Amino acid sequence: MLRQAAHDGWDLPSSRDEAWRWSDLSALPGIASQRPAGTLPDALPWLECANDGPRLLFVDGALVAGRSRLDGIAIGPVEAEAAGHPLGRLVPGDGWTLRLGRGHAPAAPVQIVHFGTGGANHLAARVALEEDAQASVVETYVGEGWSNRLTDIALAKGARLMLARRTGSAGFVSLTDRASVGEGASLVVANLAAGTADTRLDGLIRLAGEGAYAEAGGALLARGRQRHDVNLVVRHERPGGTSRQVWRSVADDRATCSVAARVEVAPGAQKTDGEQSLKGLLLSRAATINAKPELEIFADDVKCAHGATVGELDRNALFYMASRGISEAEGKALLTRAFVADAIDRIGEEDVRRAFGAHAEQWLGRAHG
Amino acid sequence: MLNITNLHATVAGKPILKGLSLEVNAGEIHAIMGPNGAGKSTLGYVLGGREGYEVTGGSVMFLPGTVRAEPVEALPSSNLGDQEKESPSTGSGRTEEWIDLLALEADERAAAGLFLGFQYPVEIPGVSNVQFLRTALNAQRRARGEAEMSAGDFLRLARAEGDALGVSMDMMKRNVNVGFSGGEKKRNEMVQMGLIAPRLAVLDETDSGLDIDALRVVADGINRIMRAPDKAVLLITHYQRLLDLVVPDFVHVLADGRIVRSGGPALAHELEREGYAQVAA
Repeated sequence: MLRQAAHDGWDLPSSRDEAWRWSDLSALPGIASQRPAGTLPDALPWLECANDGPRLLFVDGALVAGRSRLDGIAIGPVEAEAAGHPLGRLVPGDGWTLRLGRGHAPAAPVQIVHFGTGGANHLAARVALEEDAQASVVETYVGEGWSNRLTDIALAKGARLMLARRTGSAGFVSLTDRASVGEGASLVVANLAAGTADTRLDGLIRLAGEGAYAEAGGALLARGRQRHDVNLVVRHERPGGTSRQVWRSVADDRATCSVAARVEVAPGAQKTDGEQSLKGLLLSRAATINAKPELEIFADDVKCAHGATVGELDRNALFYMASRGISEAEGKALLTRAFVADAIDRIGEEDVRRAFGAHAEQWLGRAHG
Repeated sequence: MLNITNLHATVAGKPILKGLSLEVNAGEIHAIMGPNGAGKSTLGYVLGGREGYEVTGGSVMFLPGTVRAEPVEALPSSNLGDQEKESPSTGSGRTEEWIDLLALEADERAAAGLFLGFQYPVEIPGVSNVQFLRTALNAQRRARGEAEMSAGDFLRLARAEGDALGVSMDMMKRNVNVGFSGGEKKRNEMVQMGLIAPRLAVLDETDSGLDIDALRVVADGINRIMRAPDKAVLLITHYQRLLDLVVPDFVHVLADGRIVRSGGPALAHELEREGYAQVAA
């Protein structure tokens, strides 16, 4: 009865809403009504890293303490504000918090694996880095069901955070981020969507301090009837900020990849340097790629560039490769890999870059037999 | 090695080749000359198997012959006509029988021993030369049932070919033809030809866009790589300049989709002197 009541109360946005025009959330109530199997996975996609750091395993949104190593990460109520976001507000407010004191810089990344066994699960998170603290967080979504996340990020002056996420397997993954980047601080968010799950990535990144840096981008790989959907706003509130949004979408079969990315420059945010590069590659004529770069500028001394292109594989290059003995399938894989590399090669940390590259490679291998 | 009989081909429905016949034997270099629009590049693309180039009649038979053993042993040698190159094959997948070239996909033609040199080599952003060539070489070896070449052997071979053609390892690591000058692209074509070691090379305007020094390097490459009793070359060119450096055994004039005249190297000089209109008339 309770589950049914919750189901009726979903009140999910429809495609009439501009920010959700390319989304299809119709499967979510159905997924949410399923009962999670609750079985624990055997092997987990932990990254091979030079140093061991904290590891958190969440199964259907609940921490599996026996297979986690908290190392100072707090589990419990989380200060995260959804501010009316239609998916973010479904997150009840419990989850994990990473708080690092001034100048703190652990040597190893925080690794988090979210394993879903069906049904819906919601989890909040907060990363709060004090002055000059540094951290890397790598999240991997596997399994099935609907994993819904709300992540609040607060970076104080000079703090640096790298947040890398990959979604694999089946179901639906929705991630809503609310970030504030302080003076001279740096936030890099890298995404790889390379499973069979549909995804919705929502981000509002505020460059709230002078000279702040933010980078948000990734590779969206889709096939079948899969949908990846990104809605991202980078808001320059103070002068001297820099932002980069590099997205590479690949859609095969009847899949859809959509990226709406906006740069907002507030009055007074002079010397803003913003760049957007949204590129799409259609591997099939029945696939769809939507790219919507937007600039909203209320300051006069800014440098903002945006580019959006959607294309197919270069037939000339495919013939050139074939003339050297490379089959069409292998040629397509080489060109697609090169296209996606723009986004993945930006990941600064080698362990993470290598793992994400291998993950994308696996997807491409399957794409082209 | 190559037997083209009464070949007809269209591009976008328009007839370009109109009954072209040509026979090329192993050990021979043939030059195809002719005015713009005669069908020279179309001939190259039809042989290479490019989509959009539709064969409407005739046949192209290819006899690659037996390949010599491991290409690794065939490191470049400045000793032209090296007799050791004739050593018989051990366990090659290449056939001793005539192949219907037109029945093969472009990549299968390459694996059978055909190399197409491009007038405008294609730029491939994001794919390095080394990666491209190693993928190509190993795809061909797989297609012929041979073992793949190790990274070490490949790099040794690539370095040797690059050195012979003035292409540094630095260039080999760059993206395929991206940011290369016209001359560098053509030299890169020769590096590829040297590594792939084909039986028949169809070289389309390999001399275009080259200054005199680069022309010499490229010509030396063609002679070194392809002047052999078991190999053959079809040189498609506008000008006689290249033919002073790569001396053909036969020269053919292609006009309006057919070979209208054939002769020895002297024909190229005659063409240069008197023009196509005169000679082809």
